[in-house]
Amino acid sequence: MNVARALRSWLPFFVAIPVLWVIEQKVALNPDFGLEYLFVNINHIGIAIILAVSLNLVNGLTGQFSIGHAGFMAVGGYVAAVMMMRGPTDDPYRIFFLLSLLAGGGAAALAGWLVGKPSLRLRGDYLAIVTLGFGEIIRVIIENTQFFGGAIGLSPIPHRADFAFIWAVVIITILVAKRLRDSTHGRAFLSVREDEVAAEAMGIDTTGYKVMAFIIAAFFAGLAGGLSGAFEGNLAPQSFTFVRSFEIVAMVVLGGMGSITGATIAATVLTILPELLRGLGELANARMVIYSVALIVLMLVRPRGLLGTRELWDFFKRKAPKEPSPKREASEALIDVRKATIRFGGLTAVSEFSLQVKPRELVALIGPNGAGKTTVFNLLTGVYAPTEGRINVMGRDTRGLSPHAIAHLGVARTFQNIRLFRELSAFDNVRIACHHLTRESMAAAVRHGELSEQEEAWIAERANELLDVMGLSARRDELSKNLPYGEQRRLEIARALATGPQVLLLDEPAAGTNNREKVELMQLIRSIRDRFGVAVVLIEHDMKLVMGVSERILVLDHGVTIAQGLPREIQSNPRVIEAYLGEKYAKEHFGGAAPA
Amino acid sequence: MTELLQHLVDGISQGAIYALIALGYTMVYGVLQLINFAHGDVFMVGAMIGYYFARATGESSHPSVLGALGVTLVSMIGCGLIGFLIERIAYRPLRSAPRLNSLITAIGMSFFLEYGGQFAVGPNPRSATILPTGGAVHFGGLSVGEADVIIVLSSAAMMLILQYIVFHTRMGTAMRAVSWNAQVASLMGVNIDLVISFTFVLGSVLAAVAGILYSAKYPKIDPLMGLMPGLKAFVAAVLGGIGNVPGAMLGGLLLGLAEQLVSGYVSSSWKDAVAFSLLILILLVRPSGLLGRGTAEKV
Repeated sequence: MNVARALRSWLPFFVAIPVLWVIEQKVALNPDFGLEYLFVNINHIGIAIILAVSLNLVNGLTGQFSIGHAGFMAVGGYVAAVMMMRGPTDDPYRIFFLLSLLAGGGAAALAGWLVGKPSLRLRGDYLAIVTLGFGEIIRVIIENTQFFGGAIGLSPIPHRADFAFIWAVVIITILVAKRLRDSTHGRAFLSVREDEVAAEAMGIDTTGYKVMAFIIAAFFAGLAGGLSGAFEGNLAPQSFTFVRSFEIVAMVVLGGMGSITGATIAATVLTILPELLRGLGELANARMVIYSVALIVLMLVRPRGLLGTRELWDFFKRKAPKEPSPKREASEALIDVRKATIRFGGLTAVSEFSLQVKPRELVALIGPNGAGKTTVFNLLTGVYAPTEGRINVMGRDTRGLSPHAIAHLGVARTFQNIRLFRELSAFDNVRIACHHLTRESMAAAVRHGELSEQEEAWIAERANELLDVMGLSARRDELSKNLPYGEQRRLEIARALATGPQVLLLDEPAAGTNNREKVELMQLIRSIRDRFGVAVVLIEHDMKLVMGVSERILVLDHGVTIAQGLPREIQSNPRVIEAYLGEKYAKEHFGGAAPA
Repeated sequence: MTELLQHLVDGISQGAIYALIALGYTMVYGVLQLINFAHGDVFMVGAMIGYYFARATGESSHPSVLGALGVTLVSMIGCGLIGFLIERIAYRPLRSAPRLNSLITAIGMSFFLEYGGQFAVGPNPRSATILPTGGAVHFGGLSVGEADVIIVLSSAAMMLILQYIVFHTRMGTAMRAVSWNAQVASLMGVNIDLVISFTFVLGSVLAAVAGILYSAKYPKIDPLMGLMPGLKAFVAAVLGGIGNVPGAMLGGLLLGLAEQLVSGYVSSSWKDAVAFSLLILILLVRPSGLLGRGTAEKV
């Protein structure tokens, strides 16, 4: 059974190998056809596809911005080349070549880890320039190392990469990329691209995924480098400058960020374009000028890339699942905050805040603008660490835990300024939040094994159910940015629930909705509590609303908890009235004395 | 000691050129959050225009101060125009698209200027005499080339002028407003298109001056000459905190000094690696550059 599965999951690959071999033997090597030159180009295209599809994992899928891909290609290429040049001269079954390639890929992956680990905390353009810098440093090191042939380069490298070998690696690269992308890990990558803060809150280790994307991409770039060296027969540091990296980035963006087929097509087009232009006769000298103009024009005409974020393919249907149900036991107090204080510079945003949340409780946090309510949520979810005091979640001290780890403990939140993964569908938004409930490893996702199929089906079912509860079934496949405001808020709640929380933190869920919607929302919150057995902590401005739904209320003003208790106690508390309406108003209407 | 001073002089002169180019990167980034990768090639075009105009007018055979000023002016006008056109053609249509797209057109534009230059004038380097800078001034064992003096003085003058424009004119105020928040600036009546065009022209004019000065010190002009200095200048801009005008100057000087010291005491073949290592070290300690303002995302 397992063997059969394993075989089936690699079926495309096993079918492709003999086909490639036959093409190689019967067409490429057949002098009658005279296609040597064509196949040289086809192989260049193959190498470009490996580079583009792997970089797409970082730049397209994960939304990080690396322009140092040529550096990793160089690492892999040189390691593989040195091994082959110093290894056995005869390699009949190309076993040693395969080993050299893997060693090159491994070295590149290691370089990817070394580069990614410290620099991925930088954002956007800063990350870009650092990756570019690393790429250049790698090149300069090679240029100055005699072992790697210095500025002249390495040659002759045994010609061991041919059409069949290169394209077999192309197929593996595409298969791995596609399967990762369609798995729960793929959605985790996407969530990092869409909104890092929200992804952390949904329990996704964003730093880990960024580094992982970097390592995988670097590995394949290393393979491409090794193939390139063994195909051309030589390697020179000049072919790994940042210009090469730019070309790969251009392929990814032109193909459409995140689209694997797009990257493949763009890699093909951009590789053959200069070759096609060779045939222009008089204008052949201008081919690179035309190439650059074509690049600009293509980008202007199709700003979202050739394929946008879509794919040419969509097959592999999934079967019905069994349910691996993750359950956690509830302790007495789910959240236990003792005298937490946080200061930003001289400003004390929240001071000596204490709160215990018990299972299935409905607590409201109210207070005027700037009182520190959202800051409390940020403390609870680990976005900020308290300057003083202690926060326990499920009996565990959260000091030093990152937001995704706290989400794993069972705290989920929504955001005041809605933070959905805007470019993803409602369905995918919810599915991403199921991520930490899955056990399937990346390797398993690539193998496309049984567990991954079961889990995918289970996630789909769970996501559909949650969308249904929130009345969003009809919107399942719409991009979340296109939903009306109220539905976006509900989708955020569905997404938070999908993480399987014990405590749900709702940050102004009723903001911007009208009175009727507010009443409905409050009923919905109660029914969520009953149905999913979660405790709810609610931030809200509207006093009337809070009074109706919550069992306990805390009032914050300027970071200080000025009152807490049952709704009707709060309603008549003079300090609360003062905070909301001003001292003068409170004095005039209540004479300064505490009303009964 | 003399040797060290010599390296410092060379470093400052090199750094001044980096700083001039870096200003163009940083100003464009400030208003558009775009890395204008074609900027290094505008610098190349500046040197090219200077070279051909000097040859056409006989300035290169009979160098004079007035002639050199004329050549520089023509090059400034030419580059200003090119900067204006680059923005109109390659960036403006994509202003509402994701930023990565403009980056690709920037790369395309950069390729276009490089390959276009190779196509138009051939890839071979030509040696240039645009400025009358043969001699050197000697202080003991220290030799300060006339070129170095001119480079440092003119760069300082350009930066002072730029400082005046950015902080003491209406247009400069508008530029700063757009860089803080373009949308709000436009609501306050700032013509964003005009400001952005002006920024590109201003940056390109500075690049032209840098191109002329660079060719005075390194008289070897070819269509790919903008590649490395352009990249280094960008590194300088990031080093100082991209979007920050004094940061670009500081970054440029720092980078020039570091490179010359390493060339002098280690080996010039490690020069390029040093620039990037310095950058990475500084960014790991200060993620927004030396003078950049860190932005925490509001949750």
